[in-house]
Amino acid sequence: MREIPEQDHYELLELARDATREEVERAYRMACSTWAEHGLAAYSVADDSQLASLRERVELAYRVLADVEARGTYDEALGALSAPKRTEPDLGFDDEEEEIPAELPAEIEAFEDLSGPEDGRWSGASLRRTRLARGLELEQITGVTKVNPVYLRCIEEERFEALPAAVYVRGFVTAYARCLGLDAARVSGDYLERLQAARPSHVLRRKPRTRS
Amino acid sequence: MVAIDTDVEGANLHTWLGVPSPRASLADFVSGRVQDPLDLVVETPVANLGLIAATHGNLAASQPEPSRRIELLQRLRRLLCDFVFVDCGAGAHPATIDYFLVGDEGVLVLHPEPTSLENAYAFLRAAFYRRMQLVMQKHDVRERVREAMDQRNARGIHTPLDLLREVEAMDPEEGRRFARSMRSFRPRIVLNEVESAEEIKLGFSVRSVCRKFFGIEADYVGYVNRDPAVREAVLARRPLVEVRPKSDAAIYVQRIARKLAEAAGGSRSR
Repeated sequence: MREIPEQDHYELLELARDATREEVERAYRMACSTWAEHGLAAYSVADDSQLASLRERVELAYRVLADVEARGTYDEALGALSAPKRTEPDLGFDDEEEEIPAELPAEIEAFEDLSGPEDGRWSGASLRRTRLARGLELEQITGVTKVNPVYLRCIEEERFEALPAAVYVRGFVTAYARCLGLDAARVSGDYLERLQAARPSHVLRRKPRTRS
Repeated sequence: MVAIDTDVEGANLHTWLGVPSPRASLADFVSGRVQDPLDLVVETPVANLGLIAATHGNLAASQPEPSRRIELLQRLRRLLCDFVFVDCGAGAHPATIDYFLVGDEGVLVLHPEPTSLENAYAFLRAAFYRRMQLVMQKHDVRERVREAMDQRNARGIHTPLDLLREVEAMDPEEGRRFARSMRSFRPRIVLNEVESAEEIKLGFSVRSVCRKFFGIEADYVGYVNRDPAVREAVLARRPLVEVRPKSDAAIYVQRIARKLAEAAGGSRSR
């Protein structure tokens, strides 16, 4: 373990030399959060000037590692033994609803068993657990699906009385599940069964509000 | 499995487990009335789980004297059971640190709040220095470790990494021993009562802080959300996993427990 001033860009961002572009992005976001001004993590350990200096170094490391050309030159200077992969396309969302990349570091695989349904059937609680295990806030799901966060919260909390007609709920749950990279048909099928078991089928529901 | 409440100043593990104030407790060992901790084990409503409670402590001298504490720690290591779960009190009292260090796996439970993190870092530093005092063999090096424990020491040693450099300069062999022991010191972190994805991420940030500022590799083993089911369970004075087995908190706690049990199994076979 080298001290911070001696660490290279990879060590500083806690990345392997062959980290992908996505891993660099994720590590950068984590480092920004860890060393943020008035952040919680370094409270009582680092003073303001140490944090400011760390943030400067993180910015520099990111500028170099996120740029294919700059990274190549840097790797040569470091004498990297193996050429890193850096052919991935830039991150970005398509117009279609897509899976949101996980926000948590790659080690989240160790947490993988914290997500998914407990008894093999998807529920609001298991959707929430999966979302949290991916490090995503409800607002991020809304950003992609355009589903009002109030409905997303009602879905997670299974407040069926506050949700619109089943056909809309199916759409919301499908979009939500896709965001998490889940089998959307299975998740919405399981969820709709819970919804229908909980409320009479003849009840008419108003149309939902969506966010533009 | 046996659970031991070593928090004699704030004993309450028995209540969490649904055992109404046991008469036999660690206090009997502290006072010398009982010599073998095994005689203090009481049954709990959970199958295969015994408890050594910390009730009825002597208010004037709750923790055992250092020599008695060493005896207790040795006996705990020799208990004939698959797992011994040691519940430590809050704070960095030398007794608490010794209970923490005696285990194969040391787990720190944090809240996503500055006060909790401040205490956790202080505890980690204290536990680390205590461990090094026990591991170092040469008197002058042990003295240097003791000096480093004063956070305003004249030598400017502020972190375990600073101390490693000092020890390496004093004695290369002790330096290598120090570095080996530093690598094997892997406290586990659990974040409790999280309410958002941002708070879940904090565990990874704490790990980075430990790595960058202390040179300590901490493992983030999981989080438990803020869940009213926990309050329900404690009001019912019964274990959470029994009262609300399908609650988020129960699911998270059980998964962390499984992970720790696997890790403890692994460290025993090594």
